Amino acid sequence: MKIFAIMKKELQSFFFSPVAYIVFASFLLIVGYLFWVVLVTSKLATLEPLLYNASFVLLLASPVMTMRLISEERKGRTMELLLTSPISPMQIILGKYLACMVLYLALILLTLQYPLLLSRYSSDFDLGPVYSGYIGLVLLSSAFVSLGLFTSSLSENQIISAMLSFGGLLLFWIFGWAKHAFDNWFGNMLGSLSIFDRYSDFLRGIVDSGNTIFFVIFTVVWLFLAARVIESERWR
Amino acid sequence: MIEMKNITRYYGNFRALNDISFTVNKGEILGLLGPNGAGKTTAMRILTSFLPATSGTATVAGFDVFEESYEVRRRLGYLPETPPLYLEMTVESYLNFVAEIKEIPGRIRRPRIRETAARLGLEENLGRVIGHLSKGFRQRVGIAQAMLHNPEVLILDEPTVGLDPNQIIEIRHLIKDLASDHTIILSTHYLAEVSMTCVRVVIINEGEIVAVDTVANLERFSSGKPMWKIAIKPGNDQNFAEKLKKITTATTAQCSELQIEEGISRFNLEMETEEDFDEFFRQVSSAGAIFRQISPVRASLEDVFLKLTSNEEKRGEE
Repeated sequence: MKIFAIMKKELQSFFFSPVAYIVFASFLLIVGYLFWVVLVTSKLATLEPLLYNASFVLLLASPVMTMRLISEERKGRTMELLLTSPISPMQIILGKYLACMVLYLALILLTLQYPLLLSRYSSDFDLGPVYSGYIGLVLLSSAFVSLGLFTSSLSENQIISAMLSFGGLLLFWIFGWAKHAFDNWFGNMLGSLSIFDRYSDFLRGIVDSGNTIFFVIFTVVWLFLAARVIESERWR
Repeated sequence: MIEMKNITRYYGNFRALNDISFTVNKGEILGLLGPNGAGKTTAMRILTSFLPATSGTATVAGFDVFEESYEVRRRLGYLPETPPLYLEMTVESYLNFVAEIKEIPGRIRRPRIRETAARLGLEENLGRVIGHLSKGFRQRVGIAQAMLHNPEVLILDEPTVGLDPNQIIEIRHLIKDLASDHTIILSTHYLAEVSMTCVRVVIINEGEIVAVDTVANLERFSSGKPMWKIAIKPGNDQNFAEKLKKITTATTAQCSELQIEEGISRFNLEMETEEDFDEFFRQVSSAGAIFRQISPVRASLEDVFLKLTSNEEKRGEE
């Protein structure tokens, strides 16, 4: 399968470059530190703050992980190889998306040590919000990766890609703030675009089908647009 | 095998190609010649379906490059100007990746990679990281990538650029060797390169075809009459220069000014036909002189090029 060929190549590249290691190390360091600080101050066996912090660190780290995905192919002229091979832009995008998701899942798996710790030492640890929270975190990662892939397809400059991705993610993160400013349909519409509001529901233990579908559509739309940008090279 | 018909390509307002048409037959090597910025790369990119043409059609192996680009890409190997390499990968993992996206079936992938690497002298380097390889080796990996899936058509954009003389010769031999079972287009700005590998040449300048011809014809056309560079050691004859003058005027020759260096006279000699030289050589040796150098003066690309473009202008004036 050509999608898996791309995925395998991306994973190789990630681990050949120091970026993945640095992101992994700083993510785990910060999340671990926050887990400890929150636990000793609040003395509550809940994972909600940890998952909230993890999502925010991911918001900062994600553009760095995704910026090279397509920018580098353009800069290194390897796009010419991909686009003159019998492989479609969508296959390229999906391969890269899957590679990034594998990485994020590994990162998320590594944070499972914290709920394990809590459930080991706490008698009243509620597992419900943990499950829903992790489902939310995976969906959130998928949204981050897809938007990052799209912005990476726009420029051959990795810094520009990263900045665009960060700006875009932050915008979707804070869209909900408008809800308090406008108490009308406009505020509600902006609020419904907020990935943060939707993610918060998961942290409270709610797996809402509307929220799930939102994240799936969010991912599909950006992946589709990324594929179109690559394809557009052929008819520009 | 390859056909370009009235291809025009604009980049914004800049016209990179203007009404280009040519065909390449199966098993032929066609040289695409022209100075930098002439449109060689654009023409190749259109054939590989990497770029669309603004107007006109192109087919490769009977498939339209725009409408049936996947079929074209299955049958085509392409070496871009900058070899498309992932510098952090090893040669083997890179070729393995290329094999996968070029749809080489799993069971023949490994032997095919070995075979291609052997053909390009890369066996020793399969385990090395591409970023650590020299320019010449990277170029070879680029060529390996293009020929890996054994495509019917190979398109090579300046395959010998940046290589040392030995490597250039090796690559030229390889290209000649590949021609037995591939149709090849290669671009270059060295006439010497096409005269060694190609039979037919398309010369492009400023997006237009200025000539489509065989290398032999082009060389003949540009130099007009055969010309030889000659150096003679006159022996003990003091009056050799005079004698030589007599000999050359007796035949139909055009002789350039004599340059005498360390007792050796050097000059260029032009005659009507190659046969006329026989008489000249005979007379010089019977006069007791010794030849130190006899070499044909071949037209360089610059000559062909200047001649063709200046002809073009003249035609325009008429």
